[in-house]
Parts: sequence; C-alpha cells; structure tokens
Amino acid sequence: MLLVDLQVAARNLTRHTRRNLFLGAALASVTGLLVLLGALTAGIEGSMMESATTLLTGDVNVGGFFKVTSGSAAPLVSGYPKVLELTRAAVPELDYFTVRGRGWAKAVSDSASMDLVLGGVDIAREPAVRRVLQPLGGTLDELAQPNTMLLFQGQAERLKVGVGDVITLSAPTERGVNNTVDLRVVVVVKNVGIMSAFSAFMQADTLRGLYGLSPEATGAIHLFLKDRGQANLVAARLREEFQRQGYRVMEPDPQPYYMKLFQTVPSEDWTGQKLDITTWEDELGQFKQFIWGIKVFTGLLVFILMVVIVIGILNTLAIAIRERTREIGTLRAIGMQRRKVLWLFVLETLLLGLGGCAFGALGATALAAGLNAAAIHVPEAVQLFLSQEHLTFQLRLGAAAQDVLLLTLVTVVASLGPALRAARLKPITAMHHIG
Amino acid sequence: MHRLLAVLLLAAAAAPAAAAGVDPATPEGLAALIKLIDERQRNQGDWKALCYMEAKEKGKTDVVSELLVYRRDADEKQMFLFTKPKAEAGKGYLRLEKNLWMYDPATGRWERRTERERIGGSDTRRGDLDESRLAEEYDATFKGAEPLGKYQAWHLSLKVKPGVDVAFPQVELWVDQATQNILKRQELALSGKLMRTAYYPRWKKVASPSKGGEVWYPEEMRFFDEIEKGNSTLVLIKEIDLRPLEANLFTKAWLESRSR
Repeated sequence: MLLVDLQVAARNLTRHTRRNLFLGAALASVTGLLVLLGALTAGIEGSMMESATTLLTGDVNVGGFFKVTSGSAAPLVSGYPKVLELTRAAVPELDYFTVRGRGWAKAVSDSASMDLVLGGVDIAREPAVRRVLQPLGGTLDELAQPNTMLLFQGQAERLKVGVGDVITLSAPTERGVNNTVDLRVVVVVKNVGIMSAFSAFMQADTLRGLYGLSPEATGAIHLFLKDRGQANLVAARLREEFQRQGYRVMEPDPQPYYMKLFQTVPSEDWTGQKLDITTWEDELGQFKQFIWGIKVFTGLLVFILMVVIVIGILNTLAIAIRERTREIGTLRAIGMQRRKVLWLFVLETLLLGLGGCAFGALGATALAAGLNAAAIHVPEAVQLFLSQEHLTFQLRLGAAAQDVLLLTLVTVVASLGPALRAARLKPITAMHHIG
Repeated sequence: MHRLLAVLLLAAAAAPAAAAGVDPATPEGLAALIKLIDERQRNQGDWKALCYMEAKEKGKTDVVSELLVYRRDADEKQMFLFTKPKAEAGKGYLRLEKNLWMYDPATGRWERRTERERIGGSDTRRGDLDESRLAEEYDATFKGAEPLGKYQAWHLSLKVKPGVDVAFPQVELWVDQATQNILKRQELALSGKLMRTAYYPRWKKVASPSKGGEVWYPEEMRFFDEIEKGNSTLVLIKEIDLRPLEANLFTKAWLESRSR
C-alpha cells in the first residue's frame, strides 16, 4: 500500500517538474551550505585541537605560578616529582603524561626578532609531538641535545633561519634578572594551526637554565586520559586532592596559561607557589569562544534560510493545491478519505525534501572533498581566524545525515498546513472549481 | 641640621676624589669612587623632570614621546606620566612599595607590571630614571684606565652583591677621570652576554635646596639594544625641578585625575 502511495506521490512530483525542481534546488542549496559550514567548523575545531594538544595542553594540566614578589610571576611548579606522584595516584584514568617546561622569551636572529611561547621538552617522552609534527629539515631526535631548538616553518621564515643556524633567546628569570641563551635550530617542522605561529620547543634542561630553575621545577604536567570526556571530573578531583595535601590551588579560570601569566596573575596580591589545574577546554578558552561564535553565525544563517524555504514551501503547495483542486474533488468523489489526501500531500513533500536535501548533502560532500584535495592555501591574515594553513573541511557522515533529516523534517512540517487545507475541501466545491 | 649632616657626608665620601684625586686602583679609592658617583646624583627630597624620549625599533616607525618623571627617593616612590603624543597622553606608571603599576586611560585600568618593564615599549627602564644605587647593589673591581673617545676614563666592572635582585647582574662602567661622571655603561645578562649599552654624553648639575648642594643628572642618555641590533632609545632630560611635590602626588587617584 505504501509503495502504491509512494508511486502516486512520485508521479505527482514529476507532473509539476519545473516547480518541484525549483523547490528541490532551494532545499539542496540550503542543505549543501549547512553541510559545508558544518564541515568547515569541524575542520577548524579539528586543527585547533590537534595543534593545542600537541603544543599547549594535555587533556588535564597540573601547572602553576610562582611569585617571588607580588608584581612578578613565573609559570612553574616547584618540586614537581612529588606533585607528579600525587597526580598519578589520584588519576586512574591516566593514559600517559608529559612534563613540560613553560616560558616566554624574545627570539632574536641576525635579521629579525619575535616573541615565543616556549615549551621545554624531553623529546624521548613526547609521543604526541613525534606523531603530529612533520620535520621539513633536521630531526626531532636532535632536540635531546642541550642548547637546541625546534621551530615551526612560519617562525623559521620570519626569523630567516634554517637548520644549523643559531638564535638568541632573551628572557628574565623568575627573580627578574635578564638572561640569554644561544640555541642551535636542529629541526624545522610543518605548521600545525594557529598556535604554531607563536609556540616553539626547546630542550627541557636548557629552558631550566635560561630561567635559573632547579631540576625539580617544571612548567606543567600534561595528563592525557583514556577518555577526554572525563577531563572536568579529573580536574575537579585533582583540585580537591591538592588542597587536601596542603597545596594552594588557583580558582578555575578558562584562559591559556600565558594570558594568566601576563594579565591576571601579576595583578594578584600573593607570593610563593600556587598550583593551577586546567583542562584542555580552559587552555583553549578564547579559541572555544571563537568556535562558538562561528556556530552561532552558522545557526543564524541556516535559520534565515529555513524561514525562506518554509515560505517557499507554503507558497508552492498553496499554488499546487489551487491548481489541483478539481483533481482533489474527483479523488474525494470516488471515495478517497480526507486522511488519505493529507497523507498524499505530506508524502509528496517528504519525497521532495528527502531528495533535494540528500542531493544537496552529496553535492556539498563532493565539493568539500574536492577543496580538500586542492589544498587551497589560506592567506596568513585569515589563518588567525581559521586556525588552518590550508582550507580543510572535516566531513562527518553522521552530521551530514542529521542535516538532511532536519531539513526534510522542516519541509514536511511546513507542508502540513496546506495539506490539511487540501484535505478539508468538499468534493462538490472542488469539482466546480475553475482555474 | 640634616642638611649640614648631608653635606658633611657628601664631603666625606668625595674626600679622596676632591683631595688628591680618586685612585680607583686601591680598594678604598674604588669604594669612594662608587659612593661618589651615587652621592653626586642623589637628591634628598623630591624630583620632577620633563623628559623627551625617542625610541627606534628596526623595521618600525620611530616613536617620540614626552613624559614627566616624578620621584620621592625617601619613600622609593616614582611616577611616569606621558604627555605626548596625543595617543599616549595620560598613560602612566606608578611605583609604590616596590610594585610598579601601569595605568591605561583608554581602558581606565591599572595593571601591575614587572619592575624591569620597558617604559612605553622603549629600551628605557624605570631604573634609568631612578636614583643611582651602585654602592648598595654591586661589588666593583677596577679594570684599568683607558681612553674613551676624547675622554680619559676609568673602566670598572660591577657584579651584583649576593641576595640583591637587579635586572643586570653584571655591569661595565666607564667613568670620566676628570669629572667622575659616567660616560658609558654596558649591561650584561646572567649568561654574560652583552644586552644593552648606554652612553651619557652630557651631564648637568642643579642646586638642590633639600640636599643643600648640587645634584648631577645626565642631560642626555642613549641606550642601544645589543641583542636586537638596530633598536635604540634617546632620552633627554629637558627640565629639572627639585622643589617639594604635592604630598598626595604618588597615588593612583592623582595620576588618574591627570589622565582625564
């Protein structure tokens, strides 16, 4: 029975080709746009996450600040072996961890200078760095040597240096004494998103030397969990545990540590050590807001388009019913129930919506795949907003299917009104209808 | 009575230099020279100066500013108030109890900054316009007498005293043998790398009522960044006023009121 209904609905659709093609194309365009915007947002989020979890943050971070005077601040955890021991005992969800030095310095080459957010690494214990970073020159293993540095491609270009060249880092120690260190660039790697514009790695002990730190001091312990979804839970538990052990712990503040270092912490009136437990979402605070902004913009755009589509559907169906009034009258006269008339009209719209939306989603998928393959270079100024070096669309089948179903549903709901009007027509009135 | 004591102290400190001429080759003479350098610049009361600052940064447009510098050395208070250019006017720094605060009139917010903050993004630091504390902060060694351009200078090497926090743990000084004014100062990082060179080609003295004597100040200072070659800053002290300042001047409210 359903098959017969479907056949009838499909035949009706093909009888009004021009009108239905127009409506189908509109639906396809909106679905395509929705899928493309979703894939772009997912691409930006993906690049951001990849670069953030490689460069800046674990799923949960046990970091902190040390203030010699209330007006100064250094991003460090003193006596970290004990902190690490407590952390490992309190986090059974832990997959692996890395110990990272943190710092900020001015990098100066013979021809240029730039500010860098530094990560002091023990490269042998950095599986994510090895997995994600792709050397363009030199080798990552060299970073195990003292006085060595890893630069990203963009930084190397800006400083006009290559593998083997020497740059000077200049920074104040935790006591405010100016210090410098000359470092040999041992590896230049491909950029990984916006954060690679200002983050660089150096050997951990060299970073300690630059800031005059003891071997028992580090910047942060990055914890990578078996399930990233547990990050907030683990962070809250760690805050409680460290407070119980007598550590001073900072209030949660969703900002990257370097923003706290320059803005909030130096203004706070305390001295000594405080721990700062953060999640990857905290460290990506501003970037997450940016993503949220894009999503709101996408949502608004889609809403406006949906309103246009709904008006289009209402109009088109109203015209269709007017044109087919005599036909409806005849069908009703030969015994078709009102419910059946309603069903046929809804079925027609369902077919039209499903077909148009699916076509739009397929078209957008093909277009996104083509654009990915073309690896279109994003201008440097736009890279800041998109977090991407090349325009990347992350296609997710589930999200595309969801978009298709949503728009089809909207179409069907919009058709209910006109379909009900058609079903209410009296056979005699409908058969006498002229026009 | 205080003034008399101050004059006597100054005279005592300057005695070796004034009498048979300073001999920094001897430990006593070297200590006396360092004290003399500090004392000649030290003022007992308040200090107000109108300064012109020209900062050059490689690849960028030169930034020229005018600022007022206020000091009350007895309480270690200091204030910088930018008056020009228009975009920077009203911006200021206030040093209270060894904390440096920066005020931005655009946001109306105060931010605590590090003591070694570069003033207005230039190569000048707060300490460059503070009183000289070489004897308190450094141990000196005499490196020899050597010519510096047309001047005959003593070359001194200073190392920070244990437990004292300074921006540069090692300083090389060239002092004019004839006037005992500093001619050149090189500041080195903890690593020993040369970071900044300063030249003081012109010195002036002004009568200080509170000190009951003369206060020397460098009328012209030229700072050269030795790490980022090509960056430099010129500071000219155009006017000095050593009369007492308003009692409530070193407050956030006062600076804010001048920024409006």
